[in-house]
Amino acid sequence: MAAAAPEIAGSFKILFVGDSNVGKSSILLRFTDDVFLPPDETSATIGVDFKVKMHEVGGKRYKLLLWDTAGQERFRTLTSSYYRGVHGVVLVYDVSSRESFEHLDTWVEEVGTYCLDPDVVKMVVGNKIDKESERQVTRREGAEYARRLQALFLECSAKTRTGVQQAIEELASKIVDTPALWRKPASGAKGTVSIDESVASGFGGGCAC
Amino acid sequence: MSDSYFPYAADAEQRLMAGELLVLQRQYEREQPRPRVQTKFNYAWGLIKSDSKQEQRRGVAMMHEIHNEHAERRRECLYYLSIGYYKMGEYSNARVYIEQLLAVEPSNAQAQSLRGLIDQKVARDGLIGLAVSGGVLAAVGAVAVAILAKRSK
Repeated sequence: MAAAAPEIAGSFKILFVGDSNVGKSSILLRFTDDVFLPPDETSATIGVDFKVKMHEVGGKRYKLLLWDTAGQERFRTLTSSYYRGVHGVVLVYDVSSRESFEHLDTWVEEVGTYCLDPDVVKMVVGNKIDKESERQVTRREGAEYARRLQALFLECSAKTRTGVQQAIEELASKIVDTPALWRKPASGAKGTVSIDESVASGFGGGCAC
Repeated sequence: MSDSYFPYAADAEQRLMAGELLVLQRQYEREQPRPRVQTKFNYAWGLIKSDSKQEQRRGVAMMHEIHNEHAERRRECLYYLSIGYYKMGEYSNARVYIEQLLAVEPSNAQAQSLRGLIDQKVARDGLIGLAVSGGVLAAVGAVAVAILAKRSK
């Protein structure tokens, strides 16, 4: 570790979406700070939160800009602006909540509406596998859903840290392996929807996935 | 200590594109005279994110109205009021609202981070303020001396 820190080979913007209470913020906190807060100490994200973490892939350093969006309905129409320039989207559900899994359709629709660049890497993550006895979504269902989306898939537990590191590593590696996505100048340009009223007021647009 | 922690408020720094703000504005206007809370909130939020002080001020005023009228929106109103005042450079007001949020949610990391940002600015401005007021005092002193000198003639 005597050598100076190597240069940053790239910066990736990764957005986390999914219903409230599925554990998006907890996954991020586990990844960046290796901490897990008990439920009574966490508070629902307001609008959007943001974390940065340096991450190494193939001996090169990349800067991960992790955007944590609020799952609450009230912020849904606002999240469109957060998709600008995104390289990866993580769709999170809770394996002990069937509802959160079924709602993935809505999130996929949102991603399809705002994120028109087909190169953007998608990943489906089933969180809370520590609640095995309360599981309502099988691993197989999750994997199948991701396969149809052509997305990566992983199950994890922010509480026990199982799979968290791996999820972000896989996502980052996939982005590194998709240079078309991040080498083009301002990769957001293509994904930047010239927003119109129908887009802002709902998810009318077609899915680009 | 993790390298991921530093004071940051994503919402304070990223403004909307003109088209996006316009969409929020149009929706707000279309729903007059009784716009939905969500519509009003969205527009106020978009204005606060703007780079224009005038728009920020309008957004803050609207956010105050929502805060007063809708208890269920309290936490996000407090957060965005603080961001709004922070962006306008009114740090003592910014602190008032973030402290109110922290009183209810002491471990809210987003709120803590915003307070960190405000504290940084206050510390910096405090130093500048001292330098400025020192300069002002010197100037006032010089004028007073000049007037006294004139009178005594």
